[in-house]
Amino acid sequence: MKEIIDRLQELYPIGDFKQQNKSLALITVDKDKAVDFITRLKNEEGFLHLSIITAVDWLEKNKFQLSYLINNPTTKNSFVVRVMIDRENAEMFSIHHLWEQAATYQRELKEMFGIDFPGSPGVDKPFILEGWHEIPPYRRDFDTKNYSEETYFPREGRTKNVPAEYMKQKLYPDE
Amino acid sequence: MSKLFNIKEDRSLFPEKNEQGKIDIDLSSHKYLKLWHGPQHPGITGNMSLEITLLGDEVMDCETHVGYLHRGFEKLMERRKYIQCFPIVCRVAVPEPDFNEYCFASAMEELAGIEIPESAKWLRTLVLEMARLASYLMWIGGQAGAFGQGIIGQWTNYLRDSMLDRFEELTGGRVYHMYIIPGGVRGLLPSGFKQRMEENLKFIEQMMKDVERVMFNNAVFKKRSVDMGIIEKDWIYKFGITGPNARAAGVPLDVRKDNPYLVYPQLDFEAVTATHSDIYNRADVRRRDLLMSVDLIRQIMAKMPQKGEIRAETPNVLHWKVPAGETYSKAECTRGEYGYYMVSDGSEYPRRINVRGPSYTHAVSLLEKMIINCNLADIAGLMVSLHTYPPEIER
Amino acid sequence: MGKINDILSPFTAWKHLVNEPLTVKKPLEREGADRYRGFHKNEIDKCIGCGTCEDICQNAAIDLVPVEGIETKDGDSGLRPKIDYGRCCWCALCVDICTTNSLSMSNEFKWIDEDADNFLFIPGADDKPWNNSEKGWKKPDYNLYDPNRVDMQELHPEDRDKSFIEIVQGYSKEQALKEADRCVECGICTATCPAHMGIPEYIRAIRNDDLEEGLRILYDTNPLPEICGRICTHKCETVCSVGHTGDPLSIRWLKRYIADQNPSERFKEILGTDTIEQNGKKIAIIGSGPSGLSAAHYLALMGYSCTIFEKLPLAGGMMRYGIPEYRLPYDQIDKDINYILSLGVEIKYNVTIGKDNTLDQLHKDFDAVFTGTGLHLGRSTRIPGTEHKDVHFATDLLREISLGNEIPVAEKVVVIGGGNVAMDITRSMARLQNQKFGKVNVIATSLESEDIMPADREEIVEAREENAQIIPGWGPQSIEIKNDKITGLHVIKCLSVFDEEGRFNPKFDENIKDFFEAEMVIESIGQGMDLSYLTDEIKENLKMDNRGRIIVDNNFQSSLEWLFVGGDIIQGPDVIHGIANGHKAAIGIDNYINSKK
Repeated sequence: MKEIIDRLQELYPIGDFKQQNKSLALITVDKDKAVDFITRLKNEEGFLHLSIITAVDWLEKNKFQLSYLINNPTTKNSFVVRVMIDRENAEMFSIHHLWEQAATYQRELKEMFGIDFPGSPGVDKPFILEGWHEIPPYRRDFDTKNYSEETYFPREGRTKNVPAEYMKQKLYPDE
Repeated sequence: MSKLFNIKEDRSLFPEKNEQGKIDIDLSSHKYLKLWHGPQHPGITGNMSLEITLLGDEVMDCETHVGYLHRGFEKLMERRKYIQCFPIVCRVAVPEPDFNEYCFASAMEELAGIEIPESAKWLRTLVLEMARLASYLMWIGGQAGAFGQGIIGQWTNYLRDSMLDRFEELTGGRVYHMYIIPGGVRGLLPSGFKQRMEENLKFIEQMMKDVERVMFNNAVFKKRSVDMGIIEKDWIYKFGITGPNARAAGVPLDVRKDNPYLVYPQLDFEAVTATHSDIYNRADVRRRDLLMSVDLIRQIMAKMPQKGEIRAETPNVLHWKVPAGETYSKAECTRGEYGYYMVSDGSEYPRRINVRGPSYTHAVSLLEKMIINCNLADIAGLMVSLHTYPPEIER
Repeated sequence: MGKINDILSPFTAWKHLVNEPLTVKKPLEREGADRYRGFHKNEIDKCIGCGTCEDICQNAAIDLVPVEGIETKDGDSGLRPKIDYGRCCWCALCVDICTTNSLSMSNEFKWIDEDADNFLFIPGADDKPWNNSEKGWKKPDYNLYDPNRVDMQELHPEDRDKSFIEIVQGYSKEQALKEADRCVECGICTATCPAHMGIPEYIRAIRNDDLEEGLRILYDTNPLPEICGRICTHKCETVCSVGHTGDPLSIRWLKRYIADQNPSERFKEILGTDTIEQNGKKIAIIGSGPSGLSAAHYLALMGYSCTIFEKLPLAGGMMRYGIPEYRLPYDQIDKDINYILSLGVEIKYNVTIGKDNTLDQLHKDFDAVFTGTGLHLGRSTRIPGTEHKDVHFATDLLREISLGNEIPVAEKVVVIGGGNVAMDITRSMARLQNQKFGKVNVIATSLESEDIMPADREEIVEAREENAQIIPGWGPQSIEIKNDKITGLHVIKCLSVFDEEGRFNPKFDENIKDFFEAEMVIESIGQGMDLSYLTDEIKENLKMDNRGRIIVDNNFQSSLEWLFVGGDIIQGPDVIHGIANGHKAAIGIDNYINSKK
């Protein structure tokens, strides 16, 4: 897998190569070159199968990481192609023309992370959520616990005691 | 003439397709009927719905709707310690929770650099094959039921129940096993397990002969399934199709063979394939895969070590910090490639876990394409033949 | 042919027409598997309410609640898990991680009730039909945390029994991380620690490799971490929840690890004590033992100017003059004390109150006085022969050793006593005998049998490793003296030490006798206090109990409101009580002075 990267290194700025295990390697590619690079891997290097497209929210770095997991069914090897994009007005080029299912992944990413893929069919249609008005829920700054506490109510008859505090209260309240 | 379905009547009355290959649907013309198939409908697998537009009995357009079972597991896991994700993951795909448990545990072990004990590997393989067997048994009843054969479902659900009995005594749970814990497994085989399992397997084989006679050698079933809902070979990679759906088209995609995990390299098996992925062949591939699972379970029980450590030493699970990194762990489930993409930032909580369920592609983009021109009565059969589980789409 | 077959073949299903149905006829009577994860059970007396089950429960299905009849006491929070079956997902992780192994699950899964709120109960406390069920999920044969302690590196007995160099070598980073990882953060230990140290918190700081934070947590409640990290009686470890089914956490060694790893020159910076605003008030402290130093430390942080009066040439009290150097090296004592001195605390050495200065004078010169003069007088068994010149008190000998003075060493020595001080003198004697004669012949004998000997277990083990003989369970009768020389100690078998009410009331069997040969006898059966510095006038106004102890309130304030008393003369004897007393007294003094304004 390193061999492929070494060969393509001249054409594409590929960074952070890591052979994660026997058949999986991680690489990072610039946003502008990513679709071109993935197309190349698909058309020339036999990475025909797209397993997933997903995103990781690096809130503290103000970046989204898009991960394209592509697999070569002949050599059985896979790449995670990582693309870092800005978190503000997050946008990425669509790859729906390469794989049919990509549009579904991109639609979900739009809904769950708020990452736009202009031109991807149905990208603006809600996928899983319905009538959602909060920020995209898979973003790190969406607090699920807070949301559920505001939306639902606790069951009656539940009380909470922390052993150490309870013991202090019982055994040495004044100290 | 439709390539997908063997429709032979005069189609001159049907609308012309536009440039995008779709038809212009004008509901006010009263030619069309919009119908919601699901989310509560016996002909739908799980909780999802199809918004279909019919012309007569024939589907002109379809949009799948999911989200009825969205529990936000991927997000919930980001707010839980790794060990606390362990009871959650099995709930992603109800009929075969073990693949989730395995993929989650193995991704975590890979990142943490933990090698699990030998007996744990065998036991994991055993429960994965048991899960496959149980899941196929449930599926086969669904496939038969969708074409009006209720009796098959009654037989196979009994057979599945007998597997659940084995799960119950091995793992302590019938449906959610919570057995493949990060680091290993949670118990050795109880005494007498192998014997009871062998009785189950014998009965399953015997009943599967009946199923073959009654379901597969059945003129009605053949009439409704042969040459129906064909998956073309060149769609396989285009749509990300995996598992029996791909294998039936002659593409031998099987993670167990392609990227062997656990003890599969030590087992004797071949990926089950066919040449022509229509409903009948897909069903037949699954039936043969089911029987292969029976064989694999026998092989595992014959070769597995009788005792040994079941769990590797791990850090204290209450504050297990998995080293920063990312990986993708996959396994072959009944529907194809099941995978967990795990990203750790080195803290006690996972940074991101993404679940790849094969139904994600099978039930959305693929189904939406295949269902066009399908007869209303065949929708259920078509859907079941893709073997889709909605919970793994929406997680 | 195929087509005909396809029409006929399905009819073979009819052969099942005569078969018995395979359904479960009475599903409500079906029993779960042996391992089934059904409703919870809890051995309520075994459970200590540590709350680890609650911590691991990802559904927040478990609450810890008080249960009638279960008291909150050392090592038991008095709380018990209550499970909400509206949330429980039956994963049994609570069972797998249970520190006491009290929680388990029955194989019962059937319970029909009209009221959903009934599915919320306290296993073990509430009467349920499955409470006595034998079957169900039990903790499997693995551990979700390591029950085994990380071994401490120690000098080999041959390398240590001739010298006074420190035996315990301390944890390396890797070892400390591994040991700290075992903590389940229940916090049961905090209540038992006399100083109520934030034990789970500083162990967490070790795990996070944030030792500066760890040091800050230590100093919140304990200004002598190097010392306590070595010789604390670690009562916390006796209640550690992990200790119920494994080895307790090495809390003491972990504390030492934090103190050892932080360089003393950075203490002030880490603890943020570079500048302290002074309030102009002066406090006198008598004795530079743990209680005095602790009081001085916390008072100094509040801006008081503290002066400690110490009778001996160096500070530390019993820590320096009672505990042998191989357990607590002097440079470590200095590290802790120097930091306290750096806060502006002054020590006047070689000043004996009652001789060089008086308590009345201190009362006049200072705003308040704290006294923590400790137990430095030896107590005698008063058996015949104890008046002989070769009969010594352990405390005196230990003090002389620390002062660097030569002490008499005989070839055969018997020590009477089974506490830590007895072990200290026994092991010190063994070393001195080794130095002088090249062999060890020292016997320590105690009334208590081995299982109830008050000394720490490791002290007994290590003493034996150093070839001292520990012979518990004998009562001393008389010291045999021939030609004005001691020849040995007569003992009789001690059957029990305490009576049924737990009072000291030893019973002996006089028919079982023994004789330990010795040329020198050392008594180590407890210490007494020297309160001779209290003038008659003060004594008149000072409330004391019938055993001569000064009565103090919760703030260690005596009936003379300017006089605060703490340390071994009030509680203990041990270092950690002294530290806790000093801390509380410092707060009490602050309150007292503020109330005077």
